[in-house]
Amino acid sequence: MANLSINLCGITLKNPVIAASGTYGFGREFNELYDVGQIGGVSTKGMTLEPRLGNPVPRIAESRGVILNAVGLQNPGVEHFLAEDLEWLKSTGTCVIANVAGKTLEDYEKICARLDGLVDMIELNISCPNVKSGGMAFGIKPESVEAVTRAAKKSLKTTPLIVKLSPNVESIAENARAAERGGADCISLINTLTGMAIDIERRKPIIANNTGGVSGAGIKPIAVRMVYEAAQAVKIPVIGMGGITCAEDAIEFLMAGAAAVQVGTANFTDPYAMPKIIKGLNDWCDKHGVANVSDLTGTLQLNQR
Amino acid sequence: MKDYIATITKNEQIADNIFAVTFDLGETPCVRAGQFGNISIDGTHLLRRPIAICKTEGNEVTFCYQIKGLGTQKLKNMGAGTRLNVLMPLGNGFYVEDTEQKVALVGGGVGVFPLISVLRAYKDTKEIAAYIGYRNRGAVCGVEEFAKAQKFIAVTDDGSYGAQMNAVQAFAADLEKGNRPDVVLACGPTPMLRALKALVEKENLPCYVSLEERMGCGIGACLVCVCDQTNGQRARVCKDGPVFNAKEVVL
Ligand SMILES: Cc1cc2nc3c(=O)[nH]c(=O)nc-3n(C[C@H](O)[C@H](O)[C@H](O)COP(=O)(O)OP(=O)(O)OC[C@H]3O[C@@H](n4cnc5c(N)ncnc54)[C@H](O)[C@@H]3O)c2cc1C
Ligand SMILES: Cc1cc2nc3c(=O)[nH]c(=O)nc-3n(C[C@H](O)[C@H](O)[C@H](O)COP(=O)(O)O)c2cc1C
Ligand code: FES
Repeated sequence: MANLSINLCGITLKNPVIAASGTYGFGREFNELYDVGQIGGVSTKGMTLEPRLGNPVPRIAESRGVILNAVGLQNPGVEHFLAEDLEWLKSTGTCVIANVAGKTLEDYEKICARLDGLVDMIELNISCPNVKSGGMAFGIKPESVEAVTRAAKKSLKTTPLIVKLSPNVESIAENARAAERGGADCISLINTLTGMAIDIERRKPIIANNTGGVSGAGIKPIAVRMVYEAAQAVKIPVIGMGGITCAEDAIEFLMAGAAAVQVGTANFTDPYAMPKIIKGLNDWCDKHGVANVSDLTGTLQLNQR
Repeated sequence: MKDYIATITKNEQIADNIFAVTFDLGETPCVRAGQFGNISIDGTHLLRRPIAICKTEGNEVTFCYQIKGLGTQKLKNMGAGTRLNVLMPLGNGFYVEDTEQKVALVGGGVGVFPLISVLRAYKDTKEIAAYIGYRNRGAVCGVEEFAKAQKFIAVTDDGSYGAQMNAVQAFAADLEKGNRPDVVLACGPTPMLRALKALVEKENLPCYVSLEERMGCGIGACLVCVCDQTNGQRARVCKDGPVFNAKEVVL
């Protein structure tokens, strides 16, 4: 038995496998299939201060090796989470990561202040449009990445802050450094890549929102490259994700520099994906004489060119 | 709910473009009429295909599916012995109250298949009238099942089998003759359900409809599959449905 536990910003996780936001709700449904307590952490559905109804349907489409989604942050609001889900999710023993979003800097400040000290970690989804500066997502420009990180961090006295980076940017290394400058304790990446899928009979996009976020197995090489670049750019820990389907995929991310990983779309293909990945990680470490899974982080050796 | 490793025992065409696949689950599942399964096609398709459970017999479960896109195309070419993951049973299913004796089934298109499961569940205890609409003669299927109902009226869009009308018109015609059910259970294309909703509201009849929506997880976690409710909220088709009180959903 390898030691799968990791320490992330002072928080101990049983293992480095975390459910990715938006694919796992608050864990209750998956707990009908297996004990969610065995998962390293759960990043909740993206929450906002007020409940949101999200986008019209259809919200999902499939393309070879990937899916596209545009749920539009439907969520019951942070108060509902605190009243109905938090105690239960904590009681499973998993690490509770609150994924949060907002339209203004004040939204981010308020929601972080409300959650401070109540959850294990907070993950900022900064891929949302900033209504006060013309609707461009907070996560695009390094300046706004830094500003939103700083605003959130100001509201947090105890809970560590993860900033989740968007891949739809000019330089992932620049944005990673911007989050670190803003005071992030950790960064996670990648969020979905913007895409489109067309129903050629109707000559219309399949998804009602026209565009959607691309995720799943096919995005993995892009995600691994970005995690590598981000990990090179910062000193804070990195959580890697994007297309992870099996333990070997997770190990690629760890070697590229990630301290932990998140699994999203694979939960749809196989609802037991995460327990299988955790077991596979242990088996791989045992087979390769790796005593601590944390020893794998950043062990990639580039080819000499 | 369980992710069965299911073995195909039979996979054959039953009408134009429609196939029936039977799986051996290795154990007897506990299924309510109107529930569905989420079928994993293969590793290259990241999303499973939600299909209504048409019938169960011992360890076997049968799904009837129309060939639409890549996934169902692949499924139809899979022979006996092929093993697939099938997550089931999912969703709430149809429920008939003890006080409701006369049940009307109104179905069209692929919506006829969940109604076969209702018929099988209630045919011995309820008085069932089935109003089933098909595109044309070639699309007709499930007749041997619906024939077990006390009344079975089949119609087609082009009049090539039964009268030329849709299932809602067939039901409305029978209502006019004074044949009033205690409850209406329906599944079919949205325009059909919309027409039915207008009719049952006028007639003040209780009605439950089974909805279709594109899904991610199929178990209620991702909020991909929602429908609009009359109270302004959104419900998950996979977990809160697929069966809803017609009064409570916007179609
Ligand atoms: C609860 C429920 C029960 C259903 N029962 C039946 C049934 O008994 N028989 C039957 O023939 N069909 C049924 N359907 C529709 C069936 O799910 C789709 O026809 C099927 O998924 C199409 O897959 P494909 O690979 O052929 O198409 P593709 O176009 O390759 O599918 C791409 C993606 O879109 C999804 N999708 C496409 N059309 C639909 C649709 N109409 N509804 C939901 N998802 C869709 C697919 O699941 C897949 O994820 C049901 C749908 C739901 C939600
Ligand atoms: C249906 C769906 C909903 C998502 N919702 C959120 C969300 O609310 N907040 C967020 O930060 N990321 C969200 N994501 C992005 C994932 O958390 C993850 O970053 C992305 O899907 C890449 O990982 P994967 O390839 O393993 O799915 C969502 C993804 C999917 C597929
Ligand atoms: S498909 Fe995920 S909530 Fe219905």
